[in-house]
Amino acid sequence: MTPHLRWTPFWVLFRREIKRYLKVLVQTIFAPMISSTLYLLIFGVSLGSQVTVPGGISYLAFLIPGLVMMSCLNNCFQNSSSSIVSAKFAGDLEDLKVAPLSHTQMLWAFAFGGLTRGLTVGTITFLVGELFFYLTTDQWLGIAHPGWLLFFLTLGGLTFAKIGVSVAFWAESVDQLSAVSSFVLLPLLYLGGVFFSVENLHPLWKSVSHANPLLYLINGVRYGILGQADVAVGTAALVAVLALGLFHLLGLWSLRRGPYGRW
Amino acid sequence: MASPLIVEHLIKEYGALRAVDDVSFTLEPGEVFGLLGPNGAGKTSIISTIVTLERPTAGSVRVFGHDVTREPRAAKVAIGFVPQELVNHGFFDVSEVLSFHSGYYGLAHNREREDYLLERLGLWEHRHKKVKQLSGGMKRRLLIAKALVHRPRLLLLDEPTAGVDVALRESLWEFTRELRSEGLTVLLTTHYLQEAEELCDRVGVIHQGRLKQIGDTQSLIASLTHRQVCVQLKEARLPLSHPLLTRQQGCWLEFQLPYNQNLGSLLLEAGLELSALNDLRITEGTLEEVFRLVVGGKV
Ligand SMILES: Nc1ncnc2c1ncn2[C@@H]1O[C@H](COP(=O)(O)OP(=O)(O)OP(=O)(O)O)[C@@H](O)[C@H]1O
Ligand SMILES: [Mg+2]
Repeated sequence: MTPHLRWTPFWVLFRREIKRYLKVLVQTIFAPMISSTLYLLIFGVSLGSQVTVPGGISYLAFLIPGLVMMSCLNNCFQNSSSSIVSAKFAGDLEDLKVAPLSHTQMLWAFAFGGLTRGLTVGTITFLVGELFFYLTTDQWLGIAHPGWLLFFLTLGGLTFAKIGVSVAFWAESVDQLSAVSSFVLLPLLYLGGVFFSVENLHPLWKSVSHANPLLYLINGVRYGILGQADVAVGTAALVAVLALGLFHLLGLWSLRRGPYGRW
Repeated sequence: MASPLIVEHLIKEYGALRAVDDVSFTLEPGEVFGLLGPNGAGKTSIISTIVTLERPTAGSVRVFGHDVTREPRAAKVAIGFVPQELVNHGFFDVSEVLSFHSGYYGLAHNREREDYLLERLGLWEHRHKKVKQLSGGMKRRLLIAKALVHRPRLLLLDEPTAGVDVALRESLWEFTRELRSEGLTVLLTTHYLQEAEELCDRVGVIHQGRLKQIGDTQSLIASLTHRQVCVQLKEARLPLSHPLLTRQQGCWLEFQLPYNQNLGSLLLEAGLELSALNDLRITEGTLEEVFRLVVGGKV
């Protein structure tokens, strides 16, 4: 039997990534689903009536795209980073280094593995949001631009999975990993307009917000679902492509130079 | 055919510590080579640079002609590697782990080989267990199965028999011999010197990062050790003088006989005719003696 080094290693690692999170479905799918449901319930349904957002849409409709993107990005990051960190604990991360997997294959396998989970949780969040939307307004929330929606979810998700790869490679403990997640990613997500429109902010904060790349990713998804957003879709698309390129390079560098040894 | 492994002037430093100090050696196709040395000698460091887990500080490593830093993938395809430390695999069971590992080497449908190895290494009935549910010896065997799943041409075994019971150890050595007869080249490390002596065609003794001795196992024993010959005479004699005599007590005489000299001429020289002997005991030199001499700095 001749080995197929071009696709098989990538494909096998990708499938392993999916199998891994399916084995711990409770933590990987149900827990994020419950937190999305809580957000929708508390912010969207109960507080939503007192909040106004530009464009004449309900706050719940405004919130749904933000939450879809947030849960997608979070889960992409979680999937690749926890896969790598647990492999460092077990000692089997070295297997990947010793086998003839290229860094590019590894990076894409982790990225698509994460993306699969991110899209699953994102879709579930959207469906739960739809349900709440229907219950409060008696109509379904449509998707204005499905192509753009998929574009931003995919590029954003791949980017976050690759960030997860880099952070997990360089982290020296689980604490460091969660520090990055709660001191960097979470604030950027929250300040990137998941819960509010930057149009409502003081001009100074508004311009500061425009330096946050997540503003573009989140508003890209918002444009995809609602057909309107705080930033132009072209700009958002450009930021998404640049972010993916940048973190792809960072991911490759991490896989090349990062430690594979066990903790 | 290019040599299975050529290590040339390999140096590996961890910060200020030089763990491998200018080591060079070459493996011949189809041989079993033992890398011996006390704890911390640098054995694992050498193996780690071969499998690219560590980067050499200087020097080069080539596997079947492929430099491991410049053409890592071509080299890796040819290598099977059993690490010294046991490995867990959090979520997966034995057969899943093995088939993923096969996939990393580009073999997606390798069921026959996987099943053969599970069977051969006594893991078949444990194949649905999670790896963390295995005993230490079973984990070790899984590591060996993983290393062989893609039919490597060079097998690197870093203490494959640590923590393995006697029966299993014997069967592993048996398996190693079988693999050698199929043309596999094997590099192994072990602290069981008696087994190394039986199994290894050649050995290298490494101490404090330096390769102190390398050679054919039997020739090393022959050149560095002696046979001990104890002769019991029927009746005690006056003190004998002979250059090879090391002890004389009552009816007992003890000689250290170099391997290039034979027993017959010794007895003849010492004037000991067979009819005068009551008993004769010969203790052959061992690899363990070689090891002690080399590590003790006596050669
Ligand atoms: N990752 C590392 N960082 C720093 N020092 C290391 C590292 N790995 C090994 N060393 C040091 O390098 C030296 C050689 O270690 P190595 O593991 O190669 O020895 P060994 O011959 O395999 O020993 P053993 O028989 O105990 O397995 C030791 O002094 C060890 O402390
Ligand atoms: Mg070692």
